[in-house]
Amino acid sequence: MVKGSKALLCPAADAIKRALSDFLVCPLSKQPLRFCERTQSLVNDALGVSYPIVDGIPCLVPKDGKLLDDPGVPQSDPNSTDPSSNHR
Amino acid sequence: MASSFSLSPTSPAAASLSASHRGPATQHSSASVGFRGSPERQALFSRIAPAYDNLNDLLSLGLHRVWKRMAVSWSGAKKAERVLDLCCGSGDLAFLLSERVGPQGEVTGFDFSKQQLLIASARRDLSGKTCYKNIMWVEGDALNLPFPAYYFDAVTVGYGLRNLVDKRKAMEEIFRVLKPGSRASILDFNKSSNAFTTSFQEYMIDNVVVPVASTYGLAKEYAYMKTSIQEFLTGKELEKVAKEVGFSNAKHYEISGGLMGNLVATR
Repeated sequence: MVKGSKALLCPAADAIKRALSDFLVCPLSKQPLRFCERTQSLVNDALGVSYPIVDGIPCLVPKDGKLLDDPGVPQSDPNSTDPSSNHR
Repeated sequence: MASSFSLSPTSPAAASLSASHRGPATQHSSASVGFRGSPERQALFSRIAPAYDNLNDLLSLGLHRVWKRMAVSWSGAKKAERVLDLCCGSGDLAFLLSERVGPQGEVTGFDFSKQQLLIASARRDLSGKTCYKNIMWVEGDALNLPFPAYYFDAVTVGYGLRNLVDKRKAMEEIFRVLKPGSRASILDFNKSSNAFTTSFQEYMIDNVVVPVASTYGLAKEYAYMKTSIQEFLTGKELEKVAKEVGFSNAKHYEISGGLMGNLVATR
């Protein structure tokens, strides 16, 4: 089951990493997002908001963002991918 | 383009009303009251998602495919470019754009209905076409786009702008994410200034669209269409708003005898 899950996640993870590093920004502040591999979410550290990724589809609806001080949302993640600083 | 799912007329989606997105929908007063806000419209389009593709084909006699190809042509999208299909729904325009920009290009299909996006994603997987690998599906709010400024070479919107609660804000966001010199191609019903055209549209909605949709249990959702057209902007008004938000040029083209229209705005 773990191997199957990993196989399923790999294409989505690749797409998400491409999206994160290439173009997705926070819908509220338009700032870059950090991809958290552990929770498979996109994080705006400046605003303290995270957005989930469900079924391989990033959900960047402002009202669905979770505050980072929520118990279920990570504050920092050593495995997370740092976003590029320039999206243009 | 991948074929749409086959559905029985009795397959409804989940309850909760509200939506904003493209596609036909009708019914007057009672339905319009229930679809005022974005959450209500979002739920509407999630509810019609399973029947959406079939109804598009039935209600337009397949012509929606022609209109969408025209919209993609007007967008000016080319090979290896980076394009956005806003309010992508089940993906018709995204798939056309994918074929146009090719494997070196990038297509983002953006919608606020997870159900529509899941159908789009499934259609892509079922098609087996490798060229569709250049499509990324993103769920979000068209009034708060999660993309940087000057990012896309073209933006298309198919039957989406009419359903957004703030058309000007949507146009501002489309303008923001477009590269200078690039185009937005926005296809939708035409709110005609011609009384005959308007009467014909309303007659078809009342006597064809709603009865057909009712066989899928979606009469009320599709009845919303008439009100949404009444509350939409005319071609001239769309051109005016586009120029006010910053587009250097905006031209609205009427097609199919004025029943449909396509706004082409250049940043």
